[in-house]
Formats: sequence, structure tokens, C-alpha cells
Amino acid sequence: MSQKVTRRQFLNYSLMGVGSFMAAGIILPMGRFALDPLFQDQAEGSMITTSVKAEEITEEPVKVDFSFDQQDAWYESEVTDFAWVYRDGEEIIALSPVCKHLGCTVTWAGDDANPNRFFCPCHNGMYEKNGQNVPGTPPRGPLDQFEVGTSDGYVTIGERFANEII
Amino acid sequence: MLNRIYDWIDDRIDITPIWRDVADHEVPEHVNPAYHFSAFVYCFGGLTFFITVIQILSGMFLTMYYVPDIVNAWNSVYYLQHDVAAGVIVRGMHHWGASLVVVMMFLHTLRVFFTGAYKAPRELNWVVGVLLFLVILGLAFTGYLLPWDMKALFATKVGLDIAESVPFVGEWIKTLLAGDEEIIGAQTLTRFFAIHVFFLPAALFGLMAVHFIMIRRQGISGPL
Amino acid sequence: MKRGKGLTFVGDSRVQKYDKPKLNRDYSEFPGRTEEFYPDFLLKEWVTGAVFLIGFLCLTVAHPAPLERVADPTDTGYIPLPDWYFLFLYQILKYTYASGPFNIIGAIVMPGIAVGALLLAPWLDNSKERKWTRRPVTAAMMLISFGIIFYTTWESVAYHDWETQNQQGQIVFSNLDTEDPVFQDIIRSNCTSCHGGELTGGSGPNLIEPDLNAETVQAFVENGTGEMPAFKDQLTDEEIQQVSEFVANLELTSEEDATNSTNDSDVSEE
Repeated sequence: MSQKVTRRQFLNYSLMGVGSFMAAGIILPMGRFALDPLFQDQAEGSMITTSVKAEEITEEPVKVDFSFDQQDAWYESEVTDFAWVYRDGEEIIALSPVCKHLGCTVTWAGDDANPNRFFCPCHNGMYEKNGQNVPGTPPRGPLDQFEVGTSDGYVTIGERFANEII
Repeated sequence: MLNRIYDWIDDRIDITPIWRDVADHEVPEHVNPAYHFSAFVYCFGGLTFFITVIQILSGMFLTMYYVPDIVNAWNSVYYLQHDVAAGVIVRGMHHWGASLVVVMMFLHTLRVFFTGAYKAPRELNWVVGVLLFLVILGLAFTGYLLPWDMKALFATKVGLDIAESVPFVGEWIKTLLAGDEEIIGAQTLTRFFAIHVFFLPAALFGLMAVHFIMIRRQGISGPL
Repeated sequence: MKRGKGLTFVGDSRVQKYDKPKLNRDYSEFPGRTEEFYPDFLLKEWVTGAVFLIGFLCLTVAHPAPLERVADPTDTGYIPLPDWYFLFLYQILKYTYASGPFNIIGAIVMPGIAVGALLLAPWLDNSKERKWTRRPVTAAMMLISFGIIFYTTWESVAYHDWETQNQQGQIVFSNLDTEDPVFQDIIRSNCTSCHGGELTGGSGPNLIEPDLNAETVQAFVENGTGEMPAFKDQLTDEEIQQVSEFVANLELTSEEDATNSTNDSDVSEE
């Protein structure tokens, strides 16, 4: 007898059912629409040739510019970016200048007191030459690296990835 | 004539009690600056509302010229400020008003806090007030990007990186706000525009209505 | 509420028909110097609002809303700064124990606790006492938080290089041509990170406004000065000469004649 569903309960359940259907029907497409950036695949980048000769790279980090076509949804533009590039023995290392604290731009020897470190002017973050963040300064990790190669004697820059030389 | 029109409407939908409740409610002595000058602190809430109204109106009018598109956004702002009559004033109202809302709301919060007005039975209204505070800060953050000038872009970059440092879901939050994993560009501007102009104001209106209805139902807190 | 008998309604609606006059105020239950909201008290509020509005309008006329030059994501020399009411948060992230490995404390935990405590204030401080002097702990916590916000905001403002800040974002109309190969190939990779994306100054000085001649620029580029490094070894003589001539040639122009990016899609000529 207690299992019996009253007329009022039945109507309530029906209301909830129809209501949920209407809510889901409205919200699902909109939700997927809004969340779309999360499901976008990042386009695979290719190696970009710069105008700097590989043999000119010394142990002192220098700024190497590169530009590429960036597709920002419907907006296409040519973007210039740069890397801090130096030679470590035979190998060429390219570090991203984006500070791992809050994304400002680091400069080599930007602080007079630290001539052999990368320096970020926003919150005084510092990194060693290999990108290792100096403990006690704001950055949360080492500078990212770029894939590096050479083509016809010129430096080429590829994908960005987490620092592996530390 | 006007009276007869009013009576005619009132006979049918009985609107008198609705506005009479607001118009005739008693304002006690302890909040009236005419009797105790220090009671001016009770004006902060009203002034916050006043600037919010200015913000809503000036914002509505700004969208007559503004376009949320990275190619034209800056140009449209430059144009409306320099070439449109009273553009300096309208954009100035919206810009300085944004700062003033934050200031007045902060003062209002301090007043409520130090007079203990958030205590039972007014806990819920305090919670709604704090939510309003957060909505206003969200409006301030998203509105900062819209002129698409240097400081807007770079301050937003920093803001999004702070969002990214949230554990576990940080990167999702950043991607959802920016519209792209890496780029802060065309999609970021349209998203911030949508949030600033539609989503947060909708929340703001709802919360403000609840805030005011609760004040009317509970009355202002008594003297200390 | 009375129902049914004795009530009359408007037509077939549910709106009750009143016979009594619409104005029937009775303040006998409110002793003391109270007054009705409308019109007595509202007038006072509106006078306050009007005074406030006068000050506000004066502010908007005296200080036009700032607008910096158009956003340029590639101008990596720009030092960002949030709007003033977020400065305290920005400043807190500079402290050792709120950044680096502790970044989460400065960015999430501390603001989170502050907002959480604010939301839950009625339950954290649930005594009946309303006077703030009689609940010292709560009042002290609020005063301390207020002090921290005030101090960090002040610290951020006081230690910021406002001259650079204001210069780096300025809208400048110049004859700088960012499509010029000298700018594209040499200046953009060597000069803009210090002198600003439009050479209007950053951590290094403005190159547009001063009336420099080519020899002076050449000397600076070759030998460096102060914080500026020497470029003798990094650029060829020919490149240095090109840069010098390019920079010496720069000057401010009127809005109509400007060729720099500020005027990309000319706003004054619709």
C-alpha cells in the first residue's frame, strides 16, 4: 500500500521528467558550443627557419626571431616570436622567453646584479642560463625549450616543450 | 486626467500596494544623516546602486559604437572617444565608474561588517552581497580587456596565467576564458565581451533583485 | 485573509476591489523621529546622489579615460600592470612565500580563504553582539585584511616605475614604418625589446622624439652606453648604418600623416 504512487506524485515525477528534458534540450547544445575550445586539436607545427646562421650561435644567449602564420579561429595573422638561443658544446639550445610565473617576457642579463641569468621585470623572477628557475624567485618552473634544428646552416625552431636539460 | 488614468489601471491590476510598500516604509532615525551626520555611512549602499545604474546605462550606450573584434575594437574605442560628441564623458563615466563601484562597494561592505548588520536574521543577504562583490570584480576584469590596447592585453595575459595556476582545472579554465589554449586573440575578446555584456549583467540583475527584496522584507538593521 | 463572502473583485479577475481611500498611512507603531521613505528621505538621498554626481562628472571631464596604443602581442618588452584594484593581488605574488613553489598560496589559497571567510562571516561570527568593539577578534581580522590590502596596493604603486609604464603604452603618431625591411629584419629583433615595439621607449629611451642625427645613433649602436650593449659584433657595418639612418629619420607626425601601426586602418578618415 505504501508503494502506491499517488496522482500528485505521478504528476510531480512527470513534471520533473519533462522539465529535465526541456532543460537538457536547451542547455546541451549551448554547453557544447561554449566548451568547444577544450576539444579543439592543436595544429601540429612544423620547423620554422630563422635568419640566424647556426655557426654564429655562441655560448652567450641571443635573441632569435621567427615568424609564423597563426590561425586564431577566423583571424589569420603572421606572428613574430623569439627564442633565447645559445650553444652548449655541440648542441644548440633554444629557450622560450615566456616567464613561468605569469607569462611576462624574460631578458638575458636584464638585471645588472645578475649578468648571467635570465631576468623577468614583472616580479623579479630569475633563471639560470639553462632555464632553471632560481629558488626564492617567483617562477614555478624552468623556462620551456624549443625544438631546434638546422637547415642549410640556418637555425630552425619547432615545437615548444617542457625543459629537458635540467 | 493623469489621476483618472492611474485609477483606471489601479482598479484592474491593483498596483498601489506594490509601490506603497516602498514609498511609505519608515526610515528610522539612526540611518538618517539629517539627525546624526555619522549616518552618512548608510548612504554607501545607495550610492553603489546609483553608480551601477550609471554603469549599465553608459555601457549600453558604448555598445552603439564598440565592436568586439580585434581588428576594429581599438579603432572603435579611439573613434568614440575622440570623434563622437560627448564620447569622452560617456567612456569616462564607464571607466571611472568601474573604479568607483569597486570603492563604494568596498565601503558599503565595511559599513555592514562593522555595524554587524550581517548577523541573524540577515545572513542570506550578506551572502548575496558577497556574491554581488564577486560579480562586480568579474565585470571589472572582463571589461578591462575590451578596449584592446596594450595594458588590456597584457594585464589579461597575467590574469589568465593566474587562472591557469589553479590546480587540476586551471588549464581548462584558462582555455574556456581565452577560447584557445595558447592564443589570446580574437576568440578571447568575443568571449570576454559576451561575459561582460550578457552573462555577468544577468547574474548582477538577479542578485540585485534578491538583495533589494530581502532588504524590504527584513527592514534595515536596528540601531547599535 | 478574508475569503469569499463580502469581497468584491474587479470584473472576473482576482484583483480585489477597494472601497477605502488609497492613502491610509498609520505611523503610530513607529515611535521616534522616523520619516517616510517617500518623499522625505528619498529627497535627502537624491541630494547626496546629486552632489556625488557633480564630483563624478568633474572627474570624467578632468581626466579622460586612458587609452593606450592598440594591443600588439608581439611587443614583448611591455611590462604589464593590472587595474589598481587588483594590484594588491599582483603585489602579493611577488613575495617569496606566495610565489615560485608557493605560487598556489598567493594565487589561490589566500584569496580563496579571504573570499570564503567573507562569505561565511555570519556563521564564523555568530554571537548576538553587533557593536564591533565588543567582538574584537572579528573586527581585528577585518582590520588586518584591510591593512594588508592597503599596504600591498601602496607598495605596488610606490615601487612601480610609472614613467616607463606611462611611456610604453602611449599612443604616438610617428613616421615609423613597421613594414620597412630595416625595421622587420634588424630593429625588431635587436631594439624593440628595450625601446618598445614602436620605439617609443620601454626600459630604454624613446627613439622617436629626440632629434638624433645618424652619427650619434651609429655611435650608440656600435659602442653601447649605460645598460645598452654594444652591437658592433652582432651587426654588420652596413646594418648598423641602415639602423642609424632609419632611427635618425624618425619623428612625430600629425595624426593624418602617421604611418605607424596606431593608424593602421585610419580612424580619422572613415
